[in-house]
Amino acid sequence: MKAIVDCNNFYCSCERLFQPKFEKRPVVVLSNNDGCVISRSDEAKQLGVAMGVPLFEVRSLIREKGIAVFSSNYALYGDLSWRVMETLRILLGKERVEVYSVDEAFLELDALGQKELDALALSIRKTVEEWTGIRVSIGVAPTRTLAKLANRLAKKNKAETNCVMVLSELPDIEQALRRTAVSDLWGIGRRYAKQLHEKWSIYDGWQLAQVNESFANKYLGGVVGTRLVRELRGIPSRMMEEERVQKKMIATTRMFGRRVYELNEIKEAVATYTARAAEKLRRQFSATGHIHVFIIEHREGERHGMAYDNHRHLDKPSSDSSVLIRIAIELVTSIYKKGPAYKKAGVILSNIVPEAARQGSLFVDSASADDDRLPLMLAIDNINFSLPPAHEPQHDTILRFAAAGTNRGWKMKQDYRSPRYTTKWHEMPAVR
Amino acid sequence: MDPKNGTGQAAYRGSKSFTQQQVRSANATGFGAAADDYMERGIDLNEELIRNKPATYFFRMKGDAMKEAGIFDGDVLIVDRSVPLANGRVIVAVLNGELLVRRFHKNFSSAFLIPENSRYKAINLAEFSDFTVWGVVTYTIHPQG
Repeated sequence: MKAIVDCNNFYCSCERLFQPKFEKRPVVVLSNNDGCVISRSDEAKQLGVAMGVPLFEVRSLIREKGIAVFSSNYALYGDLSWRVMETLRILLGKERVEVYSVDEAFLELDALGQKELDALALSIRKTVEEWTGIRVSIGVAPTRTLAKLANRLAKKNKAETNCVMVLSELPDIEQALRRTAVSDLWGIGRRYAKQLHEKWSIYDGWQLAQVNESFANKYLGGVVGTRLVRELRGIPSRMMEEERVQKKMIATTRMFGRRVYELNEIKEAVATYTARAAEKLRRQFSATGHIHVFIIEHREGERHGMAYDNHRHLDKPSSDSSVLIRIAIELVTSIYKKGPAYKKAGVILSNIVPEAARQGSLFVDSASADDDRLPLMLAIDNINFSLPPAHEPQHDTILRFAAAGTNRGWKMKQDYRSPRYTTKWHEMPAVR
Repeated sequence: MDPKNGTGQAAYRGSKSFTQQQVRSANATGFGAAADDYMERGIDLNEELIRNKPATYFFRMKGDAMKEAGIFDGDVLIVDRSVPLANGRVIVAVLNGELLVRRFHKNFSSAFLIPENSRYKAINLAEFSDFTVWGVVTYTIHPQG
């Protein structure tokens, strides 16, 4: 049996845990740079705040209805996410838990009866809430796709389901599939759903489950379509993936806190992002063989500005911040044009290889200087991680590279961020 | 368990936990083997004071409501949400949306939140509908000097 555990309105719940006065009030959490709404409490949903809506569009609604607004506080959400996942690992054993996203995990459960599964899911839900303070919903079914569906139904009617739904018996699965539009199934996008409607008159999950496999293979997207149909029929067809320990790509991209015009400021930002990305690289003991840098223009009234980018292949993979920063700055200098305002920049590292297995290139002197700088980089990381000052959300503030600048007028806007209650000694929640 | 980087040194791992392999080993000439058996990794407060890590949170005391219980303004409270509520325990409570530290006391007919300072009044929980227990205080940390 598969189960999915999903935190309810996760970011909003994190904020409420330490400010219980917001418990029954509408709450929203904003994206990076306070751009748009990325998490809504049930009360905020009922007031009509849409997912992803830009902050300025709901400003008056927020004022009128007294909606509490928070900037995203990733230090807090990350810690609480770890607590939820760790609780699941303690309850079920490491090998039965696969973290799927910051607020979702798949579980591998024994094939028990409906009643036992119900009781098990309920006790998992209760323990997670008791230990961490975060409420979760749990869907249980023979496959992941059906578990996702069960979870969706559990969330739709929290009072009746207790946030738990088990679909283990065939009649229950059929009924649930009949009630669910194909567009609401996991892994089906809007375009694919439209195709199913228009070409094949398939509207609900049950209809899709009846399609025969060779048809699905031919007309519904090959292996992916076949897998989906099998999953709906209760045959597990998505493998329990091993935890992805090493990221294949590391991206650090941010909106600027204001419009930026000058190359110097953009260079500082890019150097800072590169340093962050390099730090992530070293945390997973790897090196990068490819750097991609981009900047995006701001155009008044338009959502998507022009993007400019450039990239470079590294002859010898590196995780040395100073090497990577030098290249990133060369790249951004090559794409910058004076005149327009810029709103965003990003650095993407790819071709990532394990540090230990770093392959030298035939044409590069293997005893080159940057080999020796890894201990220095690790020392910098250790200092930055152990001593971040109380008011700074980033790690790179004690020791940083000169290229990253000191004024940082371009930095991200976070006007409504709550304290980092669980990760900073000086920001602990107060009690009286 | 311990991931090593290319230089062969243990690198930053993003966690303060450590493994058995990281226990210092005594290798002073002639004593190595014998002393090794007695090498320990020292006392770890994280391990001693935090019994259930994902359920343990820290709070900062503001004010003097609990001073007679030895909890003073600015002290740090270690709060374990997985410890069951029991009569007489110091708890973090949520009352009217506010976080409070008090001693929980229950008799045959009613329940109270008791301050440890004669200037404060006991709170009769029968008068409040939205009372919840946030967690049970397991230790407090008070700086000397």
